[in-house]
Amino acid sequence: MANPLKLYLTCVRNTLEAAMCLQNFPCQEVERHNKPEVELKTSPELLLNPVLICRNEAEKCLIETSINSLRISLKVKQADELENILAKKFLRFLSMRAEAFQVLRRKPVQGYDISFLITNYHCEEMQKQKLIDFIVQFMEDIDKEISELKMSVSTRGRLVATEFLKQFL
Amino acid sequence: MATFERASPALKEILLRIYNAEKPIEVDHHLYEFGSVEYYIKSSASEPFTYLSISTPLLSQGVFLSYGLSPYTLQMVRDISIDALDIVEPPTDGYQLTLRLDFSKLPHDKESLKIITEVSSVQAVILSSQLKEMLQNVNSWDISQGMYKPIKLIYHPREPFYVIRQPQKIVAVFPMRFKDHSDVIIATSFFQELMDVGSSGKWAKVPHCNWSPIPPPELIGEPFEDLSTNGGFVSFDISSHHVEGKRLDKTVWSLLNFYAYVKHHVKCTRGFIQRRMRRRMDSLVQVLEKSMIEENGEIKKIKGWKKMKKWMRLTSKSKMIKRRYHDFRKKMKRIRFRIKIHGFARFRRRWLTMPNFSSSMGYTQLKNNN
Repeated sequence: MANPLKLYLTCVRNTLEAAMCLQNFPCQEVERHNKPEVELKTSPELLLNPVLICRNEAEKCLIETSINSLRISLKVKQADELENILAKKFLRFLSMRAEAFQVLRRKPVQGYDISFLITNYHCEEMQKQKLIDFIVQFMEDIDKEISELKMSVSTRGRLVATEFLKQFL
Repeated sequence: MATFERASPALKEILLRIYNAEKPIEVDHHLYEFGSVEYYIKSSASEPFTYLSISTPLLSQGVFLSYGLSPYTLQMVRDISIDALDIVEPPTDGYQLTLRLDFSKLPHDKESLKIITEVSSVQAVILSSQLKEMLQNVNSWDISQGMYKPIKLIYHPREPFYVIRQPQKIVAVFPMRFKDHSDVIIATSFFQELMDVGSSGKWAKVPHCNWSPIPPPELIGEPFEDLSTNGGFVSFDISSHHVEGKRLDKTVWSLLNFYAYVKHHVKCTRGFIQRRMRRRMDSLVQVLEKSMIEENGEIKKIKGWKKMKKWMRLTSKSKMIKRRYHDFRKKMKRIRFRIKIHGFARFRRRWLTMPNFSSSMGYTQLKNNN
């Protein structure tokens, strides 16, 4: 892993370890309701200060915490138009299948490419450390996957171009 | 690699059926392809001939059409099979060309299949013969004539391309249009690879390929709607080397199917991206599943009621009981639909409902794995 990326991911990991201290907290507004406070943002006393971790202008991670939920929003690197559409397609593909991930949000927060919503229930069902490992590995894998996709598309294009030009020989 | 069939599969099937029939059969078919090509096949039991009429939008709306199909085109069609095929003059009303086929004159071996396939590709023969005529005259233009007016050719509807005669070469320009923005990006990446590959030393003999986002200067003066594109312009420089002998056929067919080739590549790339995304998603989900807490050995649950503790220790037994209860409930429901007993619903709700074992007083203590 390159050094700048490692530092970025380490910073995200440390922040998540500190932020992921969630407990059950019923809704103060509506009886017998239990809602993730980070989404509603109705009670400021239940919200912590959001943390924005920027690797560069194009890549950043926003971590918003509340008493019973945590929202992580990621902006992924997109160097050119091809990476742009590949990232958009892939992250939209994942978001549409958010139920398979449980902690994934169906719609990313505005200004970001993908968002996670972790509640206290997720922390009860899953191990906290492994959840953090998943988020960090996800960030790493997304970058890797988009780079590989771009390379594969270029390689395919080259092969197809070669086959097309062979017809003229 | 995609291979684009010259022969119409439906037409080939019908002609083969007529050819393979033990005795002459009655056939009267109208076939439509690509929204603009029409075939009419007529065969009767009383006559030994089969008539095939074809109507197709031609490549160019210029001087070639003033007297119908050019003699060169008609000769190309006759060359398919001199014995078994004859051109009927005048053609059937509403069609550009009518052929009379005599299957009895076809050889009784694999050659017959080849001829029938050639007959089924008569539309491709007509269109490619027009382009061949243009490309064959690469060197016959005087240098002093300079630039020539581009000739607009239409092979696929709504996808015209241009052929511009220049000294020593002919330039074929393809304005590219796509419906989706992501298709534009994928295609642009392909065109750049095409340029890169074509400009390398190993491929010096192929037509020089160029892509630009703006119309080339040769197309100045053409209608705006033909020049408004989102995929740029791809141009090929065809020299005399590319139209010698058998290469002429390949060059013509490649140029005519360039649009279809690009669209096919874009579609396959999208499918490839989708498959890859699906595979990656499965691997990501597996990582998340590892973070799930296992039921046995990882959790120490402390319950308020002693009976509850006893039940929770025997987790497998409770599961078995639950399963049996569900089976019994299903059975009762089935019976319920057949026979309705008054008051049974109340009895079922009171005595046959499984009590809820979770306790509001109990709490869950998670084992610290660190």
